[in-house]
Amino acid sequence: MNTIVLTVVLPLLAAFIVPVLSRVSPLLGRLLGPLTLAYAILLTLQVWLGMEGKPFSIALGGFQPPLGINFYVDRLSLLFTFLTLVTSLLLWPWRNETEPRQYALTLLLAASACGLALSGDLFNIYVFYELISVASFGLAAATRSGAAFAASLRYLILSGLGSVLVLCGIAIVYLQTGTLNLAQLSQLAPETLNTPLGLSAFALILLGIGVKGELFPVNSWVPEVYAAASGRVSGLLAGLVSKLAVLVIVRLLVLLFQQESALHLMLILGLLGAITGELAAWRAKDMNRMLAFSSIGQLGVIFIAFSIPGETGLFAGLALSLHHLLVKPALFLLAERWWGSLAGLRGAGLASPVAGGLFVLLALSLVGMPPLPGFWAKFLLFTGLAAQSAVIYQVAIGVVLLSIVIEANYLFRVVMDLFQPAEDDRATVVDGHGWLNLGTTFLLSALLIAGMLLMGPLGAWLEGVAMQAADPVLYFDTVFSVSAIH
Amino acid sequence: MMPIEIGTVLYAGAIGLVVIGIAGIVLSHHLFRIILALVIAEAGANLLLVLSGFRWDAIAPIITGGAAAPTMVDPVPQAMVLTSIVIGVGVQALALSLMLRAYGAYKTLDIRELQRRMSADLAGEAGTPLPQSLEEPVGGRPLPAAGGDGR
Repeated sequence: MNTIVLTVVLPLLAAFIVPVLSRVSPLLGRLLGPLTLAYAILLTLQVWLGMEGKPFSIALGGFQPPLGINFYVDRLSLLFTFLTLVTSLLLWPWRNETEPRQYALTLLLAASACGLALSGDLFNIYVFYELISVASFGLAAATRSGAAFAASLRYLILSGLGSVLVLCGIAIVYLQTGTLNLAQLSQLAPETLNTPLGLSAFALILLGIGVKGELFPVNSWVPEVYAAASGRVSGLLAGLVSKLAVLVIVRLLVLLFQQESALHLMLILGLLGAITGELAAWRAKDMNRMLAFSSIGQLGVIFIAFSIPGETGLFAGLALSLHHLLVKPALFLLAERWWGSLAGLRGAGLASPVAGGLFVLLALSLVGMPPLPGFWAKFLLFTGLAAQSAVIYQVAIGVVLLSIVIEANYLFRVVMDLFQPAEDDRATVVDGHGWLNLGTTFLLSALLIAGMLLMGPLGAWLEGVAMQAADPVLYFDTVFSVSAIH
Repeated sequence: MMPIEIGTVLYAGAIGLVVIGIAGIVLSHHLFRIILALVIAEAGANLLLVLSGFRWDAIAPIITGGAAAPTMVDPVPQAMVLTSIVIGVGVQALALSLMLRAYGAYKTLDIRELQRRMSADLAGEAGTPLPQSLEEPVGGRPLPAAGGDGR
C-alpha cells in the first residue's frame, strides 16, 4: 500500500536525473520519463486493486497525524493520481529531442500533481500547488517565443498573487483552529470555521487556487498562455492542472467549509465564468483562443456542478471534470495543426477527413449530444440543479442552458467551415496532422466512445467514488484509527 | 493591555503589507515594480502566518536540558513560513529571468506596452485582426460630414 508514495517520489527523482542523463546518453534521457510514468501507472493500478475500495492513510516518515504529514488515499485521490500519470504520458513532449528541460518539467508537473491529489495536509497542498505552478510556468514558456515569455510572465504574476491569497487563507484557518491536518480540521471545522472569518478564508483560498482552475475573475492568463504555448502544454494545463485545482477546492469544501454561503459564492463565480467564457469564445477569431475561452466556460460549469450540496454535486462535477479532461486535450491537439484564424480553416476538414471527423465527434460530446458522455454529465448536472429549491440554483439552470446554446453555435460554425469547400484564392495552408497528434486524439476519442458504451457501469462506479469522497466522517476515522496499519 | 496593542499593530501591518502589494500589482505599469509589489505582498502573508502561532509570553521552542518550558511559541507556523519564503524566492527569481527574456524580445518593461505587442504578435501569427481595446471604440462616430471635426 505504501508504494503509492512512489508515484510522487519517482517522477520527482526522474525529473532531476533527466537533464544530467540526457548529456550522458540522449536515448536513455528520452526513455527515462515515459518509463517512470508507466511504472507509476502500474503501481497505482496495483494499489487500486489492493485497497478493495476502502480508503487508507499513510503517515509519512512514521510520524502519526496530526503532528506528522499524511497522504490520504481514497478512490477519488487515487483516480486523480491515475489520471495525472496517464495524461502526462499521453501528452508527453515526444518531439523535443533536443530539449531535456521539457521532459524534466513534465515529470515535475506529474509528481507534484500526484502529491496534490494525495496530500492530507493543507500546507502540503500549498507546497505541491506551488511546485505545479513553477512547472507550468516553465512549460508555458517552452516555445521560447517572445509572446510565450510575456504570456508566462503575466501568468506568473497572477499566480503569485493567487499564492499570497492562499497563504492568507491558510493563516486564517490556522489562527482559528491551530492545525492544518485536513482530518483534524474536518472535526474542528463545524465549530471554528462556520463563521464569517471562515468564509473569508474560503474566499481567499478559492480565489488563490482558482487561478489555476480558471475561475472567473482570475483567469485573464488563459487565452494568452494557450495561444502562445504548444497544443500539448495547453492540453496539460486546461485538462489536468485545472482539474487538480478544482479537486483541492472540492476537498476543502467537503471537509472544512460546509456552509451554504461558501457554496453560493462558488456558484456565483462559476455562473459568471460560464457565461463570460462562452461569450468570449463566441467572439474569438482564432482556434486556440476559442478553445481557451470555451475551457473557461466549461470550468465555470464544473464549478457550478460542485456547488450543488451533497454527493449529487460531487457526482455531477466529477462526471463533467472527467469528460472535460478527455475532450479538451484532444481538441487542443487537433488545434495545433489548425492553428490560426478560423476563417482560414475553410475546407480543412475535407483535406484531412479523419481529423475533421474527430473534431465533429468531440464537439458534439462537448455540447452534450446524446448518447455521447457529455450528455450524461450535463444530464446529471441538470437533475442535481433542479433538485435544489434555492432560487439561485434555478437561475443556474437557465445560465447553463444559455451557455450550451452559445457553445453549440460557435462550435457548429467551425464545423460548417471545416467541411465547406475552400475558396479559390484561399489555397488551404493545412497539410494534415502529424501522426503523433492524430494518434493521441484518436486514442482519447476511442476512450470517449468506450465511455459511452460502458456508461451504465461507469456511472455506478463514479457514484461510488463520489459517495466515498463526500463523507467527512469516513475521512476522519480513516486517518485517525486506521493509520496504525502503516 | 500593551501586548494586545502590539498584536493589533502587527496584524494591521501584515494585512497592510498584503494590501500594499496587491495595490502595487494592480496599479503599477513597470514590470520590475510589479515583481517588487509581489515580494511585499508575500512578506505580508508570511508575517500573517508567523503571527498566527506567536505568543508574547512564551519562549523559542527549543528543548534544552530535558525539560520543556511551560509555554513555547508554536513552531509549526515558523517552519511553514521558512518553506514559503524559500518558495517565494524561487518564484521571484523565475519572474526576474522571465522578465529579462520578455525584455529581450520586446525591449520594453511597461506591462501595457508588453501586452499590446504580445497580442499583436499572437494575432499576427494567427492571421486574425487585432483584439480591440476597450479604451478605443471601433468605428467612426456618426457625425455629419460638414464641420464634424470641430465638435
